[in-house]
Amino acid sequence: MSTRRISAIFEKDLKDLLKNPMLLIPILIPVILALTFDRVTRTPEFPPAAAYIIIGGLFAVVTSGTILSMMSEEKEKKTLRGLIGSPASLLDIVIGKSMVTGIATAASLIVSALIVGIGTFLNVKTLAALILLFLFFLLLGVSMALFSKSTAATTGLLMPFSFLFGFTPMIGALNIVSEDGIAGRALGQFPVMQALELHQGGSWTSLGVMAVWTAGAALIAYLCFRKAMKDG
Amino acid sequence: MEQAIEVKGVSKAFGESTAIKSIGFNVKKGEIFGLLGPSGSGKTTTIKILTGELEASAGQVQVLGQHPAEFGSSDFKSRIGLLSDNSALYERLTVYDNLKLFCRLYDVPLQRIDEILQEVNLQDARKQTVSKLSKGMKQRVLLAKALIHKPDLVFLDEPTSALDPQNAAHIHLGLQKLNDAGTTIFLTTHNMEEAALLCDRVAFLHLGEFQELDSPEALRYKYSTHAFHVETFSGERLVIDNGPASADRIRELVAAGEVKAMHTDNPTLGQIFLKVTGKELEQ
Repeated sequence: MSTRRISAIFEKDLKDLLKNPMLLIPILIPVILALTFDRVTRTPEFPPAAAYIIIGGLFAVVTSGTILSMMSEEKEKKTLRGLIGSPASLLDIVIGKSMVTGIATAASLIVSALIVGIGTFLNVKTLAALILLFLFFLLLGVSMALFSKSTAATTGLLMPFSFLFGFTPMIGALNIVSEDGIAGRALGQFPVMQALELHQGGSWTSLGVMAVWTAGAALIAYLCFRKAMKDG
Repeated sequence: MEQAIEVKGVSKAFGESTAIKSIGFNVKKGEIFGLLGPSGSGKTTTIKILTGELEASAGQVQVLGQHPAEFGSSDFKSRIGLLSDNSALYERLTVYDNLKLFCRLYDVPLQRIDEILQEVNLQDARKQTVSKLSKGMKQRVLLAKALIHKPDLVFLDEPTSALDPQNAAHIHLGLQKLNDAGTTIFLTTHNMEEAALLCDRVAFLHLGEFQELDSPEALRYKYSTHAFHVETFSGERLVIDNGPASADRIRELVAAGEVKAMHTDNPTLGQIFLKVTGKELEQ
């Protein structure tokens, strides 16, 4: 791993992003969502399920969405081939390209958390869960970008995955599936649901389940990267 | 002499179709090697195998003493440069910012940017956004990107295809200087004049198979009829056999002061390719 190469990729991405400000718009979505929910709920304490709809949505739209847009553009315009062909390692490329996404996620998360009440998030378990959620959604975005054939096709992938993984608490809230059925129990194991459980006093096992999801996403991202290295 | 590239019996199949059929060749260190062939002949597939982008279906490959399994290493990547149809630039960034990224990825001092921009005749375009450049200028930035880290071996797939004759000549000069400094160049081109000018040896690739492999001079000699073509002041064009029996005839013409021009039959690489394969090189 080379910090010089990581910072070179980060600097390039930052310059590129500032010349393409459309990519910054998703950062505002969770903030708008938090403001809307804050007005609607009118309770002294923000309901955790609602907070995790915002957090899940934030990771899906900002984290997965930003890395997905940036990586799929690199893949479609064949600039990713230049990075892969350079001495930068796979880890240098992924970390370098994740830094802008990390900053965008952090900015959106801090502002949203300040709106819904940041105090409940400031504990080790919740912070660890948020880090795992960031990694999971980041790797999910990388995989989708490398898997899809074109930038247009990534949108088709982002929508269902965002809904399924990002807005999982909403699926329960809308009673789309029975909570006690197989689908409901399976959804309960999804990363955002495990983070919510942990937030509500759940055990460290939830972090373990989230770590397994993240490891799975890392494996898929690695396989997609190997494929991209051969496909160009 | 040490070999930069060693290829033995390499084939590549994509499903039912075979792109490369058991080719074998060596490229010596410091050599400019040209792979000539029409579109679809297997040139790009060959480059992709040599750079590790594709795996050969059969045969052995060694590049700079490394086997394909080692092609992904940082050390190997630092020693090769590549300009292919898969090469691309960041369109929203300037020429300087594009090259700066690659300087930092290859651990090259940033002063190299001005040097390489001068080599590709783009010193005035350093602050221009890539999306605003012409096709030929973009091609020269891509070439600068491929050469910025002074690789030991550079693969150039049609490097001057989008350039006007003046810029192509500038690039040819740059490539000759690069080669004089010890860089091995593996070049694919449609342009027979470019191949004849630059290459120490050329290989004709047709339908995935090598038809000929030798120096341009040796190939011209091999496919020459060796006859003298004589143009006289009276407008006659004579073809005279190159042999002792023709000596008197040539002496007579010279003595009579009738010879306006005289040369041996020297086919171009394009004519030789057509003769060997029945196909035009630029198809």
